[in-house]
Amino acid sequence: MRKFVTVYSVLALLFCLQIVFGTDVMAAVTESTGGLSAADGLTELWNFTGFANLHGSYSNLIMIAVGLFFIFLAVKYDYEPLLLIPIGTGILLGNIPFSEGYKIGIYEQGSVLNYLYFGVEQGIYPPLIFLGIGAMTDFSSLISNPKLMILGAAAQIGIFATFLGASAIGFTPQEAGAIGIIGGADGPTAIFLSSKLAPHLMGAIAIAAYSYMALVPVIQPPIMRLIIPKKERAIKMKPPRAVSKTEKIMFPLIALLLTTFISPSALPLLGMLFFGNLLKESGVTERLADTARNSLINIVTILLGVTVGASTQANVFLTTDSLKIFGLGALSFVVATAGGLLFARFLNVFVNKDNKINPLIGAAGVSAVPDSARVVQMEGLKTDPNNHLLMHAMAPNVSGVIGSAVAAGIMLSFLMK
Amino acid sequence: MTLLFVDSSTWTITLLGWAIVFCALLFLVGIFLTVPKILKWVTNRKIKVVENGQEVVKDINDISGETNAVIATALHLFLNEQHDDESNVITIKQVWKRYSPWSSKLYGMTNYGFPHNVSKQNRYARK
Repeated sequence: MRKFVTVYSVLALLFCLQIVFGTDVMAAVTESTGGLSAADGLTELWNFTGFANLHGSYSNLIMIAVGLFFIFLAVKYDYEPLLLIPIGTGILLGNIPFSEGYKIGIYEQGSVLNYLYFGVEQGIYPPLIFLGIGAMTDFSSLISNPKLMILGAAAQIGIFATFLGASAIGFTPQEAGAIGIIGGADGPTAIFLSSKLAPHLMGAIAIAAYSYMALVPVIQPPIMRLIIPKKERAIKMKPPRAVSKTEKIMFPLIALLLTTFISPSALPLLGMLFFGNLLKESGVTERLADTARNSLINIVTILLGVTVGASTQANVFLTTDSLKIFGLGALSFVVATAGGLLFARFLNVFVNKDNKINPLIGAAGVSAVPDSARVVQMEGLKTDPNNHLLMHAMAPNVSGVIGSAVAAGIMLSFLMK
Repeated sequence: MTLLFVDSSTWTITLLGWAIVFCALLFLVGIFLTVPKILKWVTNRKIKVVENGQEVVKDINDISGETNAVIATALHLFLNEQHDDESNVITIKQVWKRYSPWSSKLYGMTNYGFPHNVSKQNRYARK
């Protein structure tokens, strides 16, 4: 124990010396002692430590603080803990300073993290996540009232508006396309598209997408209250009709064929989404559906979260581009939410009095399953404690997932070189 | 050509992209508004009831969710009660255990003070 304390006291002293006198003093100490083996050993050890590899730059420490903040948000406020804890820990892992060339870092060929990152780089994890989402999602609210699917399309304006905005401030079309998908409020889709179009921006895009998804309960309610008058927020909708098993089985098959024929580039995402749903609804593959929605999605979420977090090494992440991406991401969420809400109000113009829809559910079109639907439910209850909108909001919510995947496919078709 | 800081191809992608997303989902809306009608027609074709010598099609598709819930609850209760009625006979089997010192109360671990106390108690009991 005493030896342990001594060694760390010496290291701490050396670190303080470096801070006070600068890095040159270390070389001077070694030279003045005439190359003593103990000092050499300590210097060698020092050079391998994270303290020495900070190189006087504290950007890594800033990122570590960000990682800790994510973990704090998840633990204290329960904001998307399943995502923020792996991502926050990944940020810590990715920002420990190290000597390059020893297969440690995520961007070093052959390192363990690099192997795990392969699934992100090549877009393997997002379709697997979609498989689990498909096996979890109940599309019956969508099937019972298909008109609400249009709200999911309306909210995708966030993607295209952000694409325009990113192009206007100087990003290349590929980068702008990858940034735009943040407006889809769908983490796996954002990672999938950015891995194809702008791999160098993937860390910033994924972090922005997941952060804003976690902040949906903070971002959306003020926009809802601003755009929708109280009278319309209190509209009660008809309960959804019962959906037969045949319809539930037909939905993934028809939707798979139709959407992938329109946008084949989204095949990995939509294919897996509807495949997962078919596993669930067919009723004869319960074991596979169970694996997809539990074990598989949990494993992939862990790997995806940690590696995306670790990809935010300070030297590639802390740039002005990242700041711009964060700004555009916030804007895209606002535009997408407003787009969904306004379109819901617009739809009400053409609907008869008995079938009016509560425009609040338009906000759920941004995807972010199931958070945005939950926010709609909460806002509905605030206006009228007897008005339960969750089931109705799930329809635009899941159609938002389909819409954002189709939009990603379209972006890929237009922008993939 | 540049329009509002952005070149024409960006505008094309934006407008066309959004329009395609809309069309794809509108197409799905159309299909899923039609599918229930087809299914209803197919079901109604199968279910024909003869009333007063004439075939009458009973529409069973317009049953509301509440009605379904009531039917399901009634069925659930009925089947559960049926199960309870069936098993009204209570059978008690006599459990026969062979004596073993391992299961003996007399030699049990919780029987502190054995054999001294036991013998004392027995002695007092006899008195």
